[in-house]
Amino acid sequence: MIRPVTIALAVARKDLTSEWRTRELVPALGQFVVLALVIANFGFQIDSHNAAAIAPGVLWLALVFAGLVAFGRAFTAEREQASLEAMLLTPAPAAAIFAGKAMAAAMLLVLCEAVLLPALTLFFGTPLSVPLVAAVLLATVGMAALGCLFAALVAQVRARELLLPLLTLPLWIPFIVAGGQAVQVAMGASGGYNQALGLLIDFDILFVVLTSLAARFVLDD
Amino acid sequence: MTKWAAAATAAMLAAAGLIFLYAPTDALQGPVQRIFYLHVSSAIAAYGCFAVVLLGGVVYLWKDSLAADRLARAAALVGVVFTTVTLVMGMLWAKPIWGAFWTWDARLTSTLVLWMIYAGYLLVRRLAASGRQAARFAAVVGIFGFIDVPVVHFSVTWWRTQHPGPVIVNNALPPEMLLTFLVTMACTLFLAAVLIAIRYQIETLTDETPAPAAVLDSGLRPESAR
Repeated sequence: MIRPVTIALAVARKDLTSEWRTRELVPALGQFVVLALVIANFGFQIDSHNAAAIAPGVLWLALVFAGLVAFGRAFTAEREQASLEAMLLTPAPAAAIFAGKAMAAAMLLVLCEAVLLPALTLFFGTPLSVPLVAAVLLATVGMAALGCLFAALVAQVRARELLLPLLTLPLWIPFIVAGGQAVQVAMGASGGYNQALGLLIDFDILFVVLTSLAARFVLDD
Repeated sequence: MTKWAAAATAAMLAAAGLIFLYAPTDALQGPVQRIFYLHVSSAIAAYGCFAVVLLGGVVYLWKDSLAADRLARAAALVGVVFTTVTLVMGMLWAKPIWGAFWTWDARLTSTLVLWMIYAGYLLVRRLAASGRQAARFAAVVGIFGFIDVPVVHFSVTWWRTQHPGPVIVNNALPPEMLLTFLVTMACTLFLAAVLIAIRYQIETLTDETPAPAAVLDSGLRPESAR
């Protein structure tokens, strides 16, 4: 009997290896978030006075939509090659397979953040501080758990590109609220970010536990 | 079922009579405060419906009971209707009193998110392959939706809120208003239950109606019997 952690890591390594061999998604996502900043610049008429107020919002908008693209792709290859069924036929628990998929998708989103945060510093002059990075990384954990669960769900239905944002975005709102607050504080607004970071950790625990319980019902057929 | 529908209609008309003829006019807000009775009642009815969706989903995943799924399906649709009523009446009330149709307050935000999630729930039901898959996926969406809404509410309350708190538990209502509210709430919950029952019957009929290919098949059967 292989331990579930080993299975999850193996699934994550498989996904990351296949991304490393094709190098399709990460460059595209990096380009996408930089483009989002360019669009935001024209949409908001950003100058040195309002940049600090607008940057947190731009960060979360870019991140949310990059996340939708990344998680939407997580199950595309599996569906096209029917490899998910093969994985589910093994005695590996569905929750472990799901955890592996979610970890790999979260890693891709972290790589995308590694482009987004320096780009924000470069174009908007926002300081790249530890609490800001912590808030974004903590939100990524919960967003990846929820995003991957619903990506697995919509991969099996019609009109999946349409349904993923409709199901995922409302469930991501708590992360955007708390994460947005933490980033605003980190960028100079008044208030403490400790409570926002604490809240993000609470949400992460809640949704990681819930999604791993629900994974069985979404993956099993 | 027609009898129950007639009873629910009569109950709602009686509630309307109390709201417009019996309840006193609010000293500060004037007649527009009469929105309160149906606004709060339909919000409570909507929460009740979504609790039924949650229960139906959990029972379906646990016991694989088709009846539980049908109940969840019926309650989700009725719940979305009551949430729509709550939101629209709330906006009509907010415009004269707050000066704007909408504010990003915790209660308003979480009610809007509630509406979005269960609209998504209905969409999943439509897009997933009907039968077990739709039931399983919808149950998952229903469970996550029900848990997410208090979380959204809590996270927004943490930073900003403007909606008035519960007035009923604080004893802030005069007795005539309280009576009108309680009657309206009972009638609205009754209406919701009747609507769910009607919808449940429709879902049962839909489930029992054979797919088009099967209809063709059964149409041929008398021929072969002859």
